[in-house]
Amino acid sequence: MSTPTEVEELPETTEKEPSGSSIAFTATLVLLVGLALFGRRLFNAWFTDDGIRTWATMFVGVTVQALPFLVLGVLLSAALTAFVPASFFAKALPKHPALAVPVASASGVVLPGCECASVPVSAALMNRGVTPAAAIAFLLSAPAINPVVLASTAVAFPGQPKVVVARAVTSLAVSMILGWLWLLTGKGGSWLKMPKNRHAHDDGKFEVFRSAMLHDFLHAGGFLVVGAAAAATLNVVVPRAWLDHVAGNLLLSVLILGLLAVLLAICSEADAFVAASLTQFSLTARLAFMVVGPIVDVKLIALQTGTFGPKFAVRFAPATFVVALLASLLVGWWLL
Amino acid sequence: MKRNVAGLVIVFVGAAMVQLATSGTYLRYVKPGMRWMLLAAGIVLVALAVTDVLVKSRQDHGHGLPRAAWLLLVPIFALLVVDPPALGADAAQRQSPVAAKPAKPVEPQGNAYWGDESHGPRPITVRDYSVWAVWEKDTMQGRSFQLTGFVTPAKNGVWYVTRIGLTCCVADGTAFMVEARGQAAPPKNQWITVTGKWAEPTKRADGDVAALTVDTVKPVAAPANPYE
Repeated sequence: MSTPTEVEELPETTEKEPSGSSIAFTATLVLLVGLALFGRRLFNAWFTDDGIRTWATMFVGVTVQALPFLVLGVLLSAALTAFVPASFFAKALPKHPALAVPVASASGVVLPGCECASVPVSAALMNRGVTPAAAIAFLLSAPAINPVVLASTAVAFPGQPKVVVARAVTSLAVSMILGWLWLLTGKGGSWLKMPKNRHAHDDGKFEVFRSAMLHDFLHAGGFLVVGAAAAATLNVVVPRAWLDHVAGNLLLSVLILGLLAVLLAICSEADAFVAASLTQFSLTARLAFMVVGPIVDVKLIALQTGTFGPKFAVRFAPATFVVALLASLLVGWWLL
Repeated sequence: MKRNVAGLVIVFVGAAMVQLATSGTYLRYVKPGMRWMLLAAGIVLVALAVTDVLVKSRQDHGHGLPRAAWLLLVPIFALLVVDPPALGADAAQRQSPVAAKPAKPVEPQGNAYWGDESHGPRPITVRDYSVWAVWEKDTMQGRSFQLTGFVTPAKNGVWYVTRIGLTCCVADGTAFMVEARGQAAPPKNQWITVTGKWAEPTKRADGDVAALTVDTVKPVAAPANPYE
């Protein structure tokens, strides 16, 4: 990678920055420009091991793949926060939380994107007064049943429309079940860190939009990096050969492919192709892979920890995983 | 994190994305279709940071910006310092060379598609060859092919002509490998074009591996998009 782009764009920031005297700012700037200019020469003897380089490729790859979707997500969530009045959601969703859940699940169809986009958007929904149960249902259904994902599933499993139907039905069911589960158990619970309420300032809508986007991107971006590092590590460390030993047993294979989906953190638009290539497994096990992937994986757990707090993530991820596996078994037995 | 430092970090992340998209380096990590998404996201980020500096009303709301944002410098560090290469032999060695059974019936069937042999070896992707040589033996038997890929060495002098297939990004990279017989192995990761005849697949505990009896090996430059 050559460096001119970074160097060109820097002066814009530095010239107009009134508090440029800040030590942290100067240190960061020097560090970054220094790395851009001399980093490769200084460190070129350090990172020569093949394994480390493969890891770095995976890590950068997952980050680069997910960042545009994260930007899309924070853009949408900032727009929701700044430009859509809270009263809109009060009117659009049924008053009773138990009824709002299925409506929110079904509206997941409209957000075309990876799972990274849905975390900031559902945080913005909670922020706008949408009941957490409905926001959770949306969080789980949006990355799994949007048109892009369903279309790629149809392409990956040609001539097998039942796989697409099974995926949509299972993902929708899981999102509603978890929404209702939240109503039963989590209501009033203190372990969901409500996303900060940012619309209180009278700064004007554009200012709110900008602040929300800046804050959300920095926050979610940091956690995305943690998730990408975890996914890269597991990708390099877990040998794919051990999969073949478990393919025969239905329950075990559903569990193993579910776990694999958590560990590999493949984005929801691509996981159908990976599932299609795991031909030694039954369709039910591959359904579990496609249902679990978009709603719980290492990258998402990191993002949710950052957005909703560790106490939430530590309960939510296992619950989602178990419900997703049970639903996949049931639907697989019924449809596939 | 201070607001001006945050702006700096965002500018760097955005600029890195624009740089990846415009230089073509992004092809090492994601599919060609991601180019415009990357470019757009990079420009949005740079614009976000620049407007944040331009707008005068900088009322710092008491609380700073999230400290997690420092982590965004890690991928920047990786890009600038490690300069991660495209996936190669090391990634392929971590996978099994066995080609999975295709989900749909294999595409070209019968002699009409293949034409006659008078034009010399038929160029074919490593991905297609690795699958068809195992699952479409009858059509492939006795024919000559030309493959381009990199060298993945294995034990006992066995080596494979390899391409990595991506569906989304390198995290789902799948190695397609064809065992090359009859020639000594070129250096690991060397890109080559080989010609040769279909050979009976090698039996392994986990399945069959496509094979080719190689006539010629020619070193070539790595293609712009290393994936299939």
